[in-house]
Amino acid sequence: MTTAGVRRSAPGATPTPLTGPGQAWLRMAWLYLVSRHAPAATGLLAGFGALLWAALHWHWNVAGGSAAAAVFPLITEAGAAAVIAVTTYGPFGEPERATGRWLPYLRLGATVALTAAAIGALALGSTGGVLPGGYAALARNVAGITGVGLLCAVVLGGMLAWTGPMAYLVLIESALAAGLTTPWVWPTRPPLDRGGAICASLVFAAGLALVTIRGVRESVRDTAT
Amino acid sequence: MTVTSAPVRATPRHVPQAAPRNMARLLWVELRHNAMPLVLPLIAVIFWFDSYRIAATLPPLWVVRLYYILGQGHALIDFAPFVAGVAAWMGSRDGRRGTGDLVTATVRPRWEAQLATWAATVIWAVGAYLVFMAVTLYLLARPIAWGGLPWWPIAVDAVGVAAFASLGFALGAYFPGRFIAPIAAFGGLFAMGTSSQIGFSASGGWALILPTMSNGNFGQDAGIFYTWLPDLSVARVMFCGGVAAVAVGLLGLPVRAGGPRLRRSAAVVTVTGAAAAVAAIVLAFTAQVGPYGTVIPALHDAANDKPIPYTPVCGHAGIPVCLQPAYRPYLPDVTTALRPVISQVAGLPGVPVRASQAAAVFAPGPTVGGPDHVGQIAMVRGSPPVLYMPLGTIALPSSFGAVTASFVSQLKVEFAHALVTPGSSYGNPAQQAVEAALLQHAGISLAAQPKALGDTPWPLMGGGPRSAGAYPPPVAAAARRFAARPAAARRAWLAGHLGALRAGQLGLGQLP
Repeated sequence: MTTAGVRRSAPGATPTPLTGPGQAWLRMAWLYLVSRHAPAATGLLAGFGALLWAALHWHWNVAGGSAAAAVFPLITEAGAAAVIAVTTYGPFGEPERATGRWLPYLRLGATVALTAAAIGALALGSTGGVLPGGYAALARNVAGITGVGLLCAVVLGGMLAWTGPMAYLVLIESALAAGLTTPWVWPTRPPLDRGGAICASLVFAAGLALVTIRGVRESVRDTAT
Repeated sequence: MTVTSAPVRATPRHVPQAAPRNMARLLWVELRHNAMPLVLPLIAVIFWFDSYRIAATLPPLWVVRLYYILGQGHALIDFAPFVAGVAAWMGSRDGRRGTGDLVTATVRPRWEAQLATWAATVIWAVGAYLVFMAVTLYLLARPIAWGGLPWWPIAVDAVGVAAFASLGFALGAYFPGRFIAPIAAFGGLFAMGTSSQIGFSASGGWALILPTMSNGNFGQDAGIFYTWLPDLSVARVMFCGGVAAVAVGLLGLPVRAGGPRLRRSAAVVTVTGAAAAVAAIVLAFTAQVGPYGTVIPALHDAANDKPIPYTPVCGHAGIPVCLQPAYRPYLPDVTTALRPVISQVAGLPGVPVRASQAAAVFAPGPTVGGPDHVGQIAMVRGSPPVLYMPLGTIALPSSFGAVTASFVSQLKVEFAHALVTPGSSYGNPAQQAVEAALLQHAGISLAAQPKALGDTPWPLMGGGPRSAGAYPPPVAAAARRFAARPAAARRAWLAGHLGALRAGQLGLGQLP
C-alpha cells in the first residue's frame, strides 16, 4: 500500500488543530515574535522602565548642565531602542524569506508593537519623578533612536544593531555638552520642537520601511564570529 | 627488517612543543575572526567627536587639553560601552550557537579556548585604544610648547578598556543570548554615568579609584611645574587589572572549564584579582591630597616631589615678567595686563621689581616656583618685592568660556588686588577704592569692574549674579575722587601711603 490514496490521518495520529484564518494568523505572529525573542525583549523594556523609575525617584543626576541631567533618561531610551533593533535579527535566513510571504507585515507589526511597548514602559517608569522634556520628548526620542537602530540593523545586521543607538547616545551627550541644537540630534531640542519631531519621525519611518521591505542584513559575522 | 628489529632512534633534543604553537595559532584564528574590528570605525568617529574635537579647542597645555579626555575619563566613556558589548557578543558565541557541549568535548580545555577568544578581543580593544590615543596625542601636541605626558593615566584607561572587555566577555559567556551585547554595552555606559556622577560630587575616599574622578588628582600645573603623581593611577591600574582578572578567572571555575589543575589555576587568578581590586580600594582610602596631587603613602615615591627644572621665558611690562615655558603663548597677554597697572606705581616702595609665575597646586603646602606662603592668587612677597602669579588657577583663553579679554582683565584685577592688600581678603573700603581707581586707569572702567571682578575670588556683592554686583556708594565715590586726581598726585600719595594702605591702617576718609 502506498500513501497515494490516503485521504485521512491514521487512527491515533495527533489531530490537526482546529484553526480558522484568524487563529492561524495569531499563531504565525506568535511564532514570529518568539523567533525574534520578543517576549524577552518585552521583559527588558520593562526593566528599562523600572530603571528609569529608579533614576527619577532617587534623583540619579550627574552634576552639570543639560547633558548631565539627561544622562540616565537617555540611557534608558537608547537602551530600549537598542533592544528593539536587536530583535530584528532572524535565525532562519533564506528559507524564511523564500516561504514567508507575510514576513514584511510581521516585521512591521512586531517593530511597531515593540516601539509602542517601549514608550509605554518608559512612560510608566517616568512616574517615578520629573522626566526632563515630558512624554512628548520621551516618545520622540524613543521612536527616533529606534529608527537609528533599525537603520543600523539594515546596514550592519541585527546582532550589531545596538551599536547605532549607543553611538547616537554618545553623540547626543557630546552635542548637549557643546550646546549643538541641530534637529538631527533631536534630544537636544525642546519637547514640542517641530524640526526635532520631523527628523525623529523621518529616521523612524526610514528605518521601519527598510526593515519591513528589505529586512535586516544577514551579516557574515553573525554566523562566522 | 621489521619494526621490532629496527634500531632505536634517539629522541631529538628539541621536540616541537605542539601546545604553545597551537595556542598561538588559535589566538591568530580568533584575532582574524574577532568582531571587534567591525566597531572600531564607529569608536574612532565617537572618539574624534566626543574627545578629540573638544580637547583640540582647549588651551595648549597637556594638563588642560587632557583634563576632559583623561581627567574626566571621556576616553574610557567612548570606548568602554562598545568594547563591553562586542566582548559580550564574542563571549556568548558558543552559547548563542548552541555549540557549548561540542567545544567542551574537544581536546583543548574549555577555559583555554575561551582564553584565546578573550585575549584576541582584549588585544583588539586595547590595541585600538592605544593607536587612537597615540594619534590623538600627536594631533593635540602640535601647538603645545612644553611639558610631559601623563603616561600613568593613559595606562589606567588602557587597563580600564581591558577590564570592560573582560567583564563583557564573562557576562556573555555566562548568559549567552542575542540581548547580552546591548545589555553589557548599556550596562557599561550606565556604570560610566554613575561613575561620573560620583566623580563630580565626591572629594575622596573609595571614589578616588574611579577613572572618571578628577578631583584632587588631575589638573592645576601637574606635568608643568611638578611631575604627574602616579600614586592614584597605580592604584587604579591595580583595581582595573584586578577586575579583569576576576572576570577571566570566573570563566575557569565551572566543571566544564577544564581539569582540576586548570580550575585551581582559575581560582588563583580570581582570588588574586579580587585581592588586587580590594587592595586598590583600601589604598584609595589612605589617599591624601598634597600640593602636587593625590598621595598614597604606601605607593608614594619621594623622588616625584621634585620640581621640574626649566628655563623661564621672560618679557617686559615695566618690570621683568617671567613665565614657565609651557605658558609661553600667554606671555604677551600677561605683559599687556601688567603694563598699565605697573606704569601707575613702578618704582614706589613695596611695588614688585619683577613678576614671576608660581605653580598652581592642589592643596596648601610647600610649592615650587615661589615661596611657601604663596596661595592660589597673585601675591606680592619678599624683599625686594616680587609678584608671584599662579596662572594655572585662572581660566586661560578658550577654556571654560574664557577669552583673551577676560583673561587680561582677571590678571589686572589680581595684580591691583595684590598691590593694595596683603592677601586673599576682600580688602577694607579704602583698599577697594584705591584698587578700583587703579583698575580704572588700567583700562577697566568703574562700570565694567563688576563684570571683571565677577570671575575673581572677590566678586562685588549685589544679590544677583557675580557679574551684576556694585561697589557700595561711599567706595564708588572715593574711587572716582581718587581716580580723578592727576597721575602725579596719585603717585605721590601712594608713595607715602601704600604701606599703610596694604596693612589696612587707612580708612575711606583718609583717601585724598
